[in-house]
Amino acid sequence: MGKFIRTYLPFTSNSLKQNMAYKGAFYLNMFCSIFAAFINYYLWMAIYGSAESGVLAGLSKNEMVIYVFMSYIVSSVAMVSMSRAVGKDIQKGDIAMTLIKPMDYRMSLIAQSLGTMIYRFILPGLFVWIGLEIYRVTGLGLPAVRISNILLFLLSTFLSFMIYVLFEFCFGMIAFFTTYIFGLEMAKTAVLSFLTGQLIPLAFFPEAVQRLFDFLPFSSMLYAPVMIYLGKYTGSTLMFVLARQAVWVVLLYLLGSLIWRQVVKRLIVLGG
Amino acid sequence: MIQVEHIEKEFVSPKKYPGLKGAIKGLFSNEKVHKLAVDDISFTIDDGEIVGYIGSNGAGKSTTIKMMTGILTPTKGKCLIHGVDPNKERMVNAKNIGVVFGQRTQLWWDLPLSESYTILKEIYNVSDEDYKERMEFLNEVLDLPDFFDKPVRTLSLGQRMRADLGAALIHNPKVLYLDEPTVGLDLVVKDKVREAIRVINEKYQTTVILTTHDIGDIEELCSRIIVIDEGKKIYDGGLAELKETYGTRRKVIMEVRAVQQAKDLDWEQILGKPADTFTVEGDEENNLLSFTFDKNDLQVSDVISAVMNEAEVKDIQIQETELSEIVKAIYQHGL
Repeated sequence: MGKFIRTYLPFTSNSLKQNMAYKGAFYLNMFCSIFAAFINYYLWMAIYGSAESGVLAGLSKNEMVIYVFMSYIVSSVAMVSMSRAVGKDIQKGDIAMTLIKPMDYRMSLIAQSLGTMIYRFILPGLFVWIGLEIYRVTGLGLPAVRISNILLFLLSTFLSFMIYVLFEFCFGMIAFFTTYIFGLEMAKTAVLSFLTGQLIPLAFFPEAVQRLFDFLPFSSMLYAPVMIYLGKYTGSTLMFVLARQAVWVVLLYLLGSLIWRQVVKRLIVLGG
Repeated sequence: MIQVEHIEKEFVSPKKYPGLKGAIKGLFSNEKVHKLAVDDISFTIDDGEIVGYIGSNGAGKSTTIKMMTGILTPTKGKCLIHGVDPNKERMVNAKNIGVVFGQRTQLWWDLPLSESYTILKEIYNVSDEDYKERMEFLNEVLDLPDFFDKPVRTLSLGQRMRADLGAALIHNPKVLYLDEPTVGLDLVVKDKVREAIRVINEKYQTTVILTTHDIGDIEELCSRIIVIDEGKKIYDGGLAELKETYGTRRKVIMEVRAVQQAKDLDWEQILGKPADTFTVEGDEENNLLSFTFDKNDLQVSDVISAVMNEAEVKDIQIQETELSEIVKAIYQHGL
């Protein structure tokens, strides 16, 4: 275990360093996404303002405020994209340089994503979160979030992160078959913003569609931790949601291993 | 010891047609092109050998190296590197080998070189003492301190190549694969790299497998060469034997007084051999008369004494076929 950490820790610290090195790009990204979060916020406020009942799909107006900003935090912290890096490695053949070293390609990618995740958790995650909590108590007049919810939320967010990166790894593997995944990448981002509940809480979808979502990993990527934070899940439902996340981690891990084994067999590294 | 047994690698790719029309046709056709990049190659390499693995562009050199390092899976056959099959136990094999691909880098582009080395130290689980000793040695043969703190992307090609070579040696590998390690380097750096390879081989008994297009690399480093062409092995043996067997052409150049006169003599009769076994050329400007022949047909001494009988010779120069010409001949015609 000690050796395992020592092998992959450099990747985590390395990606932390790189995140700090490209500060400009990061702040610009942050600004754009927080801008989008505010658009989302005003949109929902307008919807609630013109709605007849104060509660839509089980969410009150105040809960919606929290939903919008917490989903923003979870999406920036847990959804660390690496399929583009995978695609680039494959397209340029740099993956060969990883294969000659005694290390696991996927683990090195996860370790790198972990670095980005830690960075994003602190900046902007923590700041937006604290800001939101202050607004919640002073502006909305609600009681502060319970410590137990915070801990469960953090656990669930970490599982979300694992689900997302393992999914990204599988997705990036598509590059082995197409050698170029930029277009797919765009499509994925669009589809995910729907399926994860980033754009609209999943509770707004029709019953039948929600049932379908239960069998897909996407609701476990973002919706689960945010709803846990809101305290919407309790008791056995809570256990079930967390267990389902854990199951997805295992399933996607196994799927990734399976694809990887196939891919290595038919890998072609050209030139050089 | 490295054993390569009947390995084959076939690449399958969709068939491409020329032009825009072809591109559209390609969208609907499902034809595949099969290319046998490596065709039934076997060889054994002992510990501590330096083997030159040569062949023309696209002959299958890199593909073989990639199969031996565990990057590519052979379509048929297998290789064992110190008893480990790199395709089944890639991680175990990776600990025993060092690889330098001249056209790629295994260093982290944005990080200072020193950081890349620290990461590699952890990946290969090298102890602090071993690392220190290694670094002292590498600094000495590769002059790393000059650029040890610079980000890798700012290194010149020569520096990067030395850095890459050092990176491949941090864990004291048993086998070192070098795929065109001197490509694009200037003469001084080339010498440096060659010297380093030689010292490493001598000091640590590291087996070195080297692909190159630079005949100088081979002449200075390798005792044995394997030549492949179109995926097939066409020569495997000592460098001296290759020269002995295939470098049998000799050229004797003599400075004589009256070149034209000497050239027009009836050499067929004088040497007592048919005219197609040798060629005579005269260079009037420099007063040079030259004979080219195969040493199995004619003795160098016979030619010289015959010429000395007929003309006044001031200077003699004997040329053997150069390795590069032998290799060129092999590439073009096979053996």
